[in-house]
Amino acid sequence: MQLARLGSRPKRPENLLPVRHRKVGDAILLTTQFGDWVFVSDAELAELMAGKLEPGSSLEARLREKKFLLDSLDAGALADRVRRKKSFLRHGPNLHVLVVTLRCNATCVYCHASRAPMDRVDTDMSRDTAEKCVDLALRSTAPRITIEFQGGEPLANFPVVQHAIEYALTKNRAYGKELEFTMVSNLSLLDDERLDYLVKHKVQICTSIDGPAALHDKQRVLAGGSAFSQAARWIRAINQRYVDLGLDPTLYHVEALITVTRAALDQPRQIVDTYLELGCRALFLRPLDPFGFASETGHKIEYERRSYLDFYREAVDYMLEKNAAGSEILERYASIFLTKILTDDDPNFLDIRSPCGAGIGQLAYNYDGSVFTCDEGRMLHEMGDDLFLLGRAGEAKYRELMTHDTVRAMLAASNLDAQPDCVSCTYAAYCGICPVHNYETQGSLHGRMRESDWCRVHKGIQDYLFEKLARGEGSVVETLKRWTTARERTHFLQQCASS
Amino acid sequence: MTEAQPVGETVIELDESLYPKDAIYGAAYVFIDRCYVHLDRPAPGRVSVRLRPKANVTVASADLAGELENELLGQAWRRLLVDENRRLVETVTTQALAGAAGPPGLDELLEMDLDAEAFDDPLGIAISWEEKYKKRPPKPEGE
Ligand code: SF4
Ligand code: SF4
Repeated sequence: MQLARLGSRPKRPENLLPVRHRKVGDAILLTTQFGDWVFVSDAELAELMAGKLEPGSSLEARLREKKFLLDSLDAGALADRVRRKKSFLRHGPNLHVLVVTLRCNATCVYCHASRAPMDRVDTDMSRDTAEKCVDLALRSTAPRITIEFQGGEPLANFPVVQHAIEYALTKNRAYGKELEFTMVSNLSLLDDERLDYLVKHKVQICTSIDGPAALHDKQRVLAGGSAFSQAARWIRAINQRYVDLGLDPTLYHVEALITVTRAALDQPRQIVDTYLELGCRALFLRPLDPFGFASETGHKIEYERRSYLDFYREAVDYMLEKNAAGSEILERYASIFLTKILTDDDPNFLDIRSPCGAGIGQLAYNYDGSVFTCDEGRMLHEMGDDLFLLGRAGEAKYRELMTHDTVRAMLAASNLDAQPDCVSCTYAAYCGICPVHNYETQGSLHGRMRESDWCRVHKGIQDYLFEKLARGEGSVVETLKRWTTARERTHFLQQCASS
Repeated sequence: MTEAQPVGETVIELDESLYPKDAIYGAAYVFIDRCYVHLDRPAPGRVSVRLRPKANVTVASADLAGELENELLGQAWRRLLVDENRRLVETVTTQALAGAAGPPGLDELLEMDLDAEAFDDPLGIAISWEEKYKKRPPKPEGE
């Protein structure tokens, strides 16, 4: 539009850093490769595109304040900032996903090639394999690591979860790492004794809640009872344990994850209300992954990303209303992007960074000890594709895994500076792409962002957030800023004296 | 650029001065799980890609042709970007690998074949990763 009006090739004022622009609502957003941003009017953009910037004008002052002008840059401070934002490059994988069994007692509509019936004990991880996985995890160069127990349903192989925890605590005396444990469970196999153990060993517990009871129970079928009431009962019981320990319930509570299926799309408000009623303070509105379910199921539960983005907007609008009325709940996508947009930090979310965390940020260990670049790569293995398999715990050396050709290829493929579209995208400083998603949906690790649902979702969410920032309503901006402050859950850090 | 072919089959002829050969290989590779792929040189400076859908593939040939063209453009542009931003991309890659792998232990140093390391190809540019790990190259027609 601007080009047509100008009738000539745009040129940039000499003092202006290279910028990218995008129409967001009624405003025009300019960003730099360092992540600085500013809104300008149509007329101001036309002026800049004609190569003009009036000295002493309000536009010049704004651009100077927002670090868009070369003569306003402090090279040292900028280098520090880039180093800080990319500090995740200094360390190896901090997330280690242990799939302790494929067995699961629930049947979910979207799940999964990576689940087995309860009698398939051959898909249980052995103690010996768990030890080898922990040994590998502790070799990571990351000073802080999280071991996450997943399944199937990890409680179906609880003795191995216990063994891995105790083994890791003992071995970590030699490594002195900051160590955390988390477990993702449907909670239906929990009992008081197991809960005592998990609370005593400071294991963070995370479950799935797909929305109100009717929706949840329709999607997650549990033989002999309502999956929702089981999960809700235990969420309340666990949260009460934290209160009994004197922990702040706004910080310490069960985290829940939602799988947004087509059936969820017309219930955004009910989903938020359900989470609030259960005492959950965060919702991660991730769209369906293309991994793990049969294609005939996909047709029933998949949806256009445009409908998902409408759902997202309505759900987050409602969360903002709730926050204005005094309830605290945040949306995780928004929190990740806003931290990158509004602060000098990077939350190191492995799927939204450049390069992504495949191998260098996380490793996933299957029940048989095979090691993958990430859990999504492992899911593709369960569907018969071994592209993301790196080796086996107990056989492969840690450094071999980190420098594996597949890890290098994924590093290159998820680097936005080498990705068409992303390289000139207004949102490149805040975004990230997923080679596994690209491979599964478009046939190559690099993919084509212009045709990618991944990109559509990221662009749509960032459009929404910048629209809110452009509108600048006080209480909304205040809430969005609050969503960028991550409070540390120090209680879950294991005490460890290195020897 | 797309020629009329027997039903279901698509042939796209390309100008080699517009599309580098490795971009053509890379883009053609993306299709080998759905199609039998055949490359040919119908005239000097021209390369043709023939896509013959496998039995269970129901995608229209026009869609396959369109996807191949988009993929070609993406691959060609990505190669230019890697060249333009080579220093930046290599710096990030080197930092990430060094940060994740850490220094070698003594036993690894003793085992290390320094000659081989010195000629390592850190970005895997010399050999296509797909070539090395997964898909086998398409069989020539008629085999
Ligand atoms: S490949 Fe995808 S799922 Fe795996 S770490 Fe990278 S972004 Fe995450
Ligand atoms: S994935 Fe899409 S939104 Fe993100 S940087 Fe790339 S082009 Fe932009």
